[in-house]
Amino acid sequence: MRALIRFGKQPRLRFISHLDLQRFFQRAVNRTGLPIAYSQGFNPHPIMSFGSALALGWTSEYEVIDIKLSAPMGRKRTEDAVRAALPEDLPVYEARMVDDRHAAPMALVRMADYNVTLTGAAAPRVIERIPAFMALERFEAVKKTKSGEKAIDARAMVVELSPLPDGFSARLMLTERESMKPDQLIGILSGLAGVEPPEARIHRVSLLGEDAQGRLRPIMEL
Amino acid sequence: MSLSDRIENLLMSVQKPVRYMGGEFNAVMKDPDGVDVRYAFLFPDTYEVGMSHLGMKILYHAINALPYAWCERVFSPWVDMADLMRRDGIPLFSLESRTPVDQFDLLGITLQYEMSFTNILEALDLAGIPLRREDRADGPFVICGGPCAFNPEPLAPFVDLIALGDGEEETIKTIEVYRQWKAAGLPREAYLRMAAQIPGIYVPSLYDVSYNEDGTVRAVTPKPGSGAPQVVKKAMVADLDGAVYPEKLIVPYGEIVHNRIMLEIFRGCTRGCRFCQAGMIYRPIRERSIPTLMRLADSLVSSTGYDEISLMSLSSGDYSCLPELAHQMVERFAARRVKISLPSQRIDTVLTDTLKETQKVRKTALTLAPEAGTQRLRDVINKGVTEADLMRSVTDAFDQGWSAVKLYFMIGLPTETDEDVLGIADLAGKVRRCYFSIPKERRAPGLRITVSASVFVPKNDTPFQWAPQLDFDTVVRRQQLLRRALSQLKGVDFKYHAPDVSYIEAVFARGDRRLADAMERAWRMGCRFDGWSDQFRYDLWLKAFEETGVDPDFYATRPRPEDEVFPWDHLDCGVTKAYLLREWEKAKRAECTPDCRKGCTGCGMKRYPGACEGR
Repeated sequence: MRALIRFGKQPRLRFISHLDLQRFFQRAVNRTGLPIAYSQGFNPHPIMSFGSALALGWTSEYEVIDIKLSAPMGRKRTEDAVRAALPEDLPVYEARMVDDRHAAPMALVRMADYNVTLTGAAAPRVIERIPAFMALERFEAVKKTKSGEKAIDARAMVVELSPLPDGFSARLMLTERESMKPDQLIGILSGLAGVEPPEARIHRVSLLGEDAQGRLRPIMEL
Repeated sequence: MSLSDRIENLLMSVQKPVRYMGGEFNAVMKDPDGVDVRYAFLFPDTYEVGMSHLGMKILYHAINALPYAWCERVFSPWVDMADLMRRDGIPLFSLESRTPVDQFDLLGITLQYEMSFTNILEALDLAGIPLRREDRADGPFVICGGPCAFNPEPLAPFVDLIALGDGEEETIKTIEVYRQWKAAGLPREAYLRMAAQIPGIYVPSLYDVSYNEDGTVRAVTPKPGSGAPQVVKKAMVADLDGAVYPEKLIVPYGEIVHNRIMLEIFRGCTRGCRFCQAGMIYRPIRERSIPTLMRLADSLVSSTGYDEISLMSLSSGDYSCLPELAHQMVERFAARRVKISLPSQRIDTVLTDTLKETQKVRKTALTLAPEAGTQRLRDVINKGVTEADLMRSVTDAFDQGWSAVKLYFMIGLPTETDEDVLGIADLAGKVRRCYFSIPKERRAPGLRITVSASVFVPKNDTPFQWAPQLDFDTVVRRQQLLRRALSQLKGVDFKYHAPDVSYIEAVFARGDRRLADAMERAWRMGCRFDGWSDQFRYDLWLKAFEETGVDPDFYATRPRPEDEVFPWDHLDCGVTKAYLLREWEKAKRAECTPDCRKGCTGCGMKRYPGACEGR
């Protein structure tokens, strides 16, 4: 049995790296008192995985951790136990118990929703470029990969993009092959506006996948 | 914009922002309006170092157990953050509530190491607190404790109170007296006089220091009418088993130096190594019982989720029922995948059984400290271990599957000769041969022997407080002598450092109040984080001494006559000067003093009620 836990990362803790958060959860699950399943081998560790790594400096209300249990547990008890083992700046929003055949959250993620707040004099000019960018059919950008640089169609990675008074909301692709990060998008829009990228606060609102009918749903509901 | 937001704005631009973040699991949050006393506890080094320190964890817990007080943590911001804070006018702040330090009632500072002294000046300045006590009309009282508090004289003009000895009870008393003082609405100086009556509290401003013509101290005497005691005896917790100990520990997010449960199994040490200040000032030996330790371990494992418990003390192999404790710990926690580790292994205690126990869960690196390369010099320092002890220990360890051994030594011990230093290489060679004496199929592959040689710093309140530090050139020459000798041995690494930091450390360890100006000058020229080799500026220190008319050799390398009055003689660390002098005489004759559990050696601790009971 596995527990899918959705939690948030509040502004105070936004500088915890993904690696540190993984280590943190190894200790946190020990504090839950839940029957945690451990890996085999010389140095056993709790079997768990994250939906998607959150970059340093970002906040979120949709982080998902998948924890394998060695015995069945009730949903409410699990949710309460995890909540008690986390500090208030990592709030637990919901828990769902799934069986071992359920796909890993990581494999379900197709897109993510973000809210971006921009500050500084250049911010309005960046926001202004949004309609023009969305009107494009294609936007060639260079993506750095392990094997070098490759040209991508950045426009195709942006599913939705709506201006807000002090920033924008965006739905961006987030799969292994096709992905766009909000800070890359800010870079592209700033380039179009001819300004240096303004200071940004990036907040993840949701992680989305597709159900059997191909409809987009938050991954906790899949 | 709030202070918290202004801090946030800097964090994107600094290394390791986690250092300034707070919000860790088990950090204590209280309503500031619901407490009477706000206590800032400053560890004058980085977060990673300070969060690894047991004393801070104990006092944080003890103070926060008081319903009317709130203790918050403060660490020295790294140089990048400190510079940005100055640029933006952001004051030094506490981690828990991000409150400026100058708004606290009391500022406790732990003195772990002389080379953190400039960080204290840096912290006061960042907090906007005037450095010199006489310039402070309000703001928190500055209280320093920790091992270096036994010679706090170089810091005397900067601090209000010095807390000597065990902090558990005396810290609470400083808070209680502060409450009385505040309620009575008395002038600032009144708190110092009131605090001077607390056992273990030394108030430097209530004492006059006079000097002889040769620059040595003539006398340190309480100011007439101050009511301060002639000699301040240290605070001592007689019953450690009943003393407060945290059942929850803050669990940091980033990696820190020691990221595990620290369980103090006893305090003090009975060995009497003559170079060791901790072995003198933390006397007498006081153990926690196995039931207490098991109960604490249970709570700590549940409340932190850590997977390792370190059984801490100055010499954990000396715990009176170590095999029983190790056995119970391993039995209780193996199923919960919690490893048990023993730091500071001694060579002459029977290791094998305990090693086997700890090995069941995890094999930690074996660290041994023979300290000196020849038997003669080990007798001088009263290390009380023989080459045979060492060989037996490493052979056992290699036989049990260890393949990495770290050996710690010192260069520059009193009476040391070139022969003693070459003895280190000889010993390393013998350890190496022990490994190869184990049949190949039984031993773990990949022998690694690390020889570390630090530069000896004579410390106050040890038998070597009369000894000169070895001169710079000889230290360098002997380091090279040893380096060449060790380079002949395959699989042996040699670690050593330039003696410049140890020299400055030696100046301050036995310094007096006249060093305060030099310290302040050095800090004004940019010295901070002196214990970090990438920050340490030897040139600036020498310049600061020169500009303030201080001869550092007077403090570091001058032999002291037996009848010299020391700047710290009015601070009683438990062992008497007469005992230390006897030990110094015996050292010069290379005569050993046995462990005091085999018979009282008359160190002076028995003058303290409740000490050495049943011994």
